[in-house]
Amino acid sequence: MSNSTARRPRPLSPNIQIYRPQLTSVLSIVHRITGVLLSGFAVWLVVWLSAAATGPRAYAIVRGVTASWIGQTLLLAATFAFFLHLCGGIRHLVWDTGRGFKLRSIYVSGWSMVAASVVLTAATWAAGLFVAAR
Amino acid sequence: MIVTSSDQVSRSTLFKRFPIPKTLGVAADSRIGQGKTWPAPVGAVRVKSFEIYRYDPEAGENPRVETFEVDLDGCGPTVLDALFWIKNTVDPTLTFRRSCREGICGSCSMNIDGVNWLACTRFISDLASPARIYPLANMRIIKDLVPDLTHLFAQYAMIEPWLHSKAPAPESERLQSPEERGKLDGYYECILCFCCTSGCPSHWWNGDRFLGPAVLLQANRWLVDSRDEAKEERLDSLEDPFRLYRCHTILNCTRTCPKGLNPGEAIAEVKKMMIERQG
Repeated sequence: MSNSTARRPRPLSPNIQIYRPQLTSVLSIVHRITGVLLSGFAVWLVVWLSAAATGPRAYAIVRGVTASWIGQTLLLAATFAFFLHLCGGIRHLVWDTGRGFKLRSIYVSGWSMVAASVVLTAATWAAGLFVAAR
Repeated sequence: MIVTSSDQVSRSTLFKRFPIPKTLGVAADSRIGQGKTWPAPVGAVRVKSFEIYRYDPEAGENPRVETFEVDLDGCGPTVLDALFWIKNTVDPTLTFRRSCREGICGSCSMNIDGVNWLACTRFISDLASPARIYPLANMRIIKDLVPDLTHLFAQYAMIEPWLHSKAPAPESERLQSPEERGKLDGYYECILCFCCTSGCPSHWWNGDRFLGPAVLLQANRWLVDSRDEAKEERLDSLEDPFRLYRCHTILNCTRTCPKGLNPGEAIAEVKKMMIERQG
């Protein structure tokens, strides 16, 4: 092919840019994102525990940050991320046994884990606020 | 929405596509430009717009999206009929694969309204307005809606999709009981349209080494065949961080299979065999 001019490479058809988000793919990416977020919150947990071990002044600073509205919002997000990741993890464990692969099961378990995460987050905060108010 | 069958068309999704920039991670020569609009013939009453991905390898230009206004009264009910109507009456250069027009050959698989499906078994009445027709996602494009499937068939060849027998060939047919034959149900029906593999995000990012749902479903089809005598060798070949274990159970495959098969479940069966043989 000595006469051929340099061939233009074939274009790649779009993938994530056009593919419709579905419960399947959305919950998969949510599982990853919540995993990353929880790693970040684990660091904050260590900071909180270290401050508690250091003394009252250090703890007061960390507590001040956590009690601010930004801190509370992030804590709420962390709770929700925790339960999403937990329920998603349980869903994956069931799949690993070879069960729950019918399309109906995939969708029922998917929406159930979302609903369960909302309920568990609300319950956790209700319990926390109840204890704090006493 | 609870989806119970892969042929259900998603209507209630909040986002039609992921909220990311359209050019994110797209190489310069794969970016899609704006093409022209081909108006409906004069006097057409029921008109529907189709936005179709076009790429001409001889033009030396980037792919583009052209809009075709289709006269529904002059056209059959399926997406394939609309493509034929365009090719016959508007632009004869529109290029796509097709053969059986009844969901058996797997040639006309493409991305329709963001989901991979066969053009011949998707009804125009189920499409959004305007309808969006792209080639199978994440493929090298030969022309318009025709993807280069060389890599996928090479991956298929890698699992050696034929009967492996160590014993001498018998005098007559190799017999199976109805139960043994039943184990192939849900796998032999695969038409290799590659809707699942092209819809798998894991194959998008690691398709060079991950075999993808279509090929792994076929791998399972040979693993469960009572006549095959190479189960251990087949599992040895699959036991690899990429070939099998890049499947993260996203399950876009099961959602999109135009034959209603379950590649996700087939892959889970293979993973189970891997654990079981470790004792």
